[in-house]
Amino acid sequence: MKKLRFASAVLLAVLLTAVFCPFFPASADEETVTLRICNWEEYIDLGGWEDDEVIDLESGDIFGENSLVEDFEIWYEENYGKKVKVEYSTFGTNEDLYNMLTIGDVYDLVCPSEYMIMKLMAEDMVQPLSEAFFDEEDENNYYIRGVSPYIRSIFENHEINGVSWDKCAAGYMWGITGFVYNPEVVSEEDASTWQLMQNSDYKRQITMKDNVRDTYFAAVGALKSDLLTSEEFTGADDYALRLQDEMNDVTEETVARVQDYLQDTKDNLYSFETDSGKADMITGKVVANYQWSGDAVYTMDQAEEDDYTLNFAVPKESTNIYFDGWIMLKAGIAQDPAKQQAAEAFINFISMPESVIRNMYYIGYTSAISGGEDERIFEYLDWNYGAEEDVAEDEEEVEEPDNEEDVVEENEEGAEEEEATVEYDLSYFFLGMGEHSEDYVLTVPAEQLNRQLSAQYPSEEVIRRASIMVYFDADQSEIINRMWIRVRCFNILDVPIWLWITLGVLIAGGVVFYFRRKAAKEKMYS
Amino acid sequence: MKFSRKTLGIPYGVFLTLFVVAPMIVLFYYAFTNGQGVFTLRNLTDFFTDPNTLGTLFYSLAIALTTTVVCLLIAYPVAYILATSKLKAKSVIIMIFVTPMWINFSLRITALKEILTLIEGNLAYYPFLNSVLGMTYDFLPFMILPIYNTIVKLDHSLTEAARDLGANERGAFLKVTVPLSLPGVVSGISMVFLPAMTNYVVLDMLYNSTYIMGSLIGSYFAAYNWHGGSMIALVLLGIICVFTLLTDSGEDDARTGGALL
Repeated sequence: MKKLRFASAVLLAVLLTAVFCPFFPASADEETVTLRICNWEEYIDLGGWEDDEVIDLESGDIFGENSLVEDFEIWYEENYGKKVKVEYSTFGTNEDLYNMLTIGDVYDLVCPSEYMIMKLMAEDMVQPLSEAFFDEEDENNYYIRGVSPYIRSIFENHEINGVSWDKCAAGYMWGITGFVYNPEVVSEEDASTWQLMQNSDYKRQITMKDNVRDTYFAAVGALKSDLLTSEEFTGADDYALRLQDEMNDVTEETVARVQDYLQDTKDNLYSFETDSGKADMITGKVVANYQWSGDAVYTMDQAEEDDYTLNFAVPKESTNIYFDGWIMLKAGIAQDPAKQQAAEAFINFISMPESVIRNMYYIGYTSAISGGEDERIFEYLDWNYGAEEDVAEDEEEVEEPDNEEDVVEENEEGAEEEEATVEYDLSYFFLGMGEHSEDYVLTVPAEQLNRQLSAQYPSEEVIRRASIMVYFDADQSEIINRMWIRVRCFNILDVPIWLWITLGVLIAGGVVFYFRRKAAKEKMYS
Repeated sequence: MKFSRKTLGIPYGVFLTLFVVAPMIVLFYYAFTNGQGVFTLRNLTDFFTDPNTLGTLFYSLAIALTTTVVCLLIAYPVAYILATSKLKAKSVIIMIFVTPMWINFSLRITALKEILTLIEGNLAYYPFLNSVLGMTYDFLPFMILPIYNTIVKLDHSLTEAARDLGANERGAFLKVTVPLSLPGVVSGISMVFLPAMTNYVVLDMLYNSTYIMGSLIGSYFAAYNWHGGSMIALVLLGIICVFTLLTDSGEDDARTGGALL
């Protein structure tokens, strides 16, 4: 099969080259390294900001004039004295990317999600990062100097076939999943559970993601809600491990239960959506939308521009924490050290605090970089979310947080005042899980506990109940994919008998009519 | 310089080989092999034994059939009135029917979504109706144009002859105009029915979460099952072939029959 795919790809490539070559003379400049990068759509700052969008941090302004890709080309030439030409393209889903790679598209650097990284690593398609990349002494190694200790430990502690992620992948963006909801209609309590999708109070007013992995995970969480929220379970010493096992349960029995659950859910949902969820949330067609945190931030930002408030809630059972990371592909790099060096330089460039801030501002997702010694990323968070600067001006009615008990970092005194502020501890991200330092506590308006900040930088409490969704092998994937198709398809056994009878009568009638007419005609001419 | 017929055919020949024949070969290959590249009929038997693929086929047919009937019911009277009217601005009016086709398809469906939301409130309660409306909105011009073109070219003397021989207006219409316009109807039907079976974008955009053939193929490919997906595409191709053959013979029948009746 692979051989034929390859053969047909080669055939096509040869033919296409033959057809188009005369029109595009190849550049003979051997000095220039060409870097083929494939990233998610709308997942990088493309520049062209309005003048009033400048991020005026105390340590200096940050402004996106050109796209980061162009800036990288300039930066690379200045730093390494060589020219690099980036061919930047995008993909829509992890599966699309995988299919593109199997058909024979060649890229040097791609940015899939963690499970796809694991799949590609398992299939030996990934070029490991070089040792030089991990050298913390090198000033230009912004990635290793700046990656969040929390993300770093996750990448070091997860492996596939005995190889840990960090050997091959450099984190780019990460996030969790949760519900964006309209607080005027949906209560925080209702929104804080995966069972929301079957809550008949909001019949046909909720959208879920149209992809099997996200929906499967959510349904497993909803089905196991009682177990996952029991004190016995959450208090266990090996809670994190057991949580991951429970959430990644693909036994036959669970898959069957999920199928039933989702089939019922389908009749309660507005729809499974691929991209319309954000817009439908803003226009008010739906009251809750299961969303990735970065898109949730975007949705809440957009709603705010329309003077409309949306909140974010993380399921109390668990949440799916995901990572998108840069990996180099063997097929593209092809043992070319110059190319590998350029690819790693790109990762470093995109991990510079300035690039990180531009990206986060532009796309709303959360970078895996905390900046290391460079304080600008925390400064940006303070600039963006801090209470002093921008509370009050566009928020006339400050809402009291609904359940103060749930919030560890609650500032008791502050909550009583009209412009309530709370302290929000992000030490886990900047210093590592379990660490605490006053330096990384933000003072933010209390409402941010349900808003953009809670989505972009979840609290440590949320992070503790987050679980990754592992890579399923071919058989397991097959089982859940089949399940998903069964959920989505109309089952022929559901066609009512009366419809079959009506159809039968109609067809028989048609045939009889046709032959009688034919006979009549023949009689006429004979 | 003189071009022979052969040279003139080269551009299309190249296009045909590259983008039609080559992909078809790949499609056939995948449809009849399994993951190991071994010949198998398994994909075919899977298709006809799985209640879900059959159900999807049924659902697609139901949507396509309803769309076609609705389009026909709207298009025929319009085309007839336009073609037989004495209006000077006929072509302008037909243009008005065609103009929507010049506006981007997804923009049109987005607009329809808003209109339907105004009328229905919550779209999610009427997935089948919305899908049919969306497809009708999208494909109506494809039904009007061929019917209009056939009726407008009809030999008017035939209807007059029928009237002279004693047929009333209704009889002349049913026995002369309708049979003679059948070729237009048939080509209209095939231009609406076939795309309606696979155009899942309309369903996606109008929140119908049930798969039709197009989305089913997509889901197989998303699950890396190229073999099953190719087989569904191939079965669909088979259905379309049979359909085209049937309508072709129907068209011949209509032509001769219509002329003789």
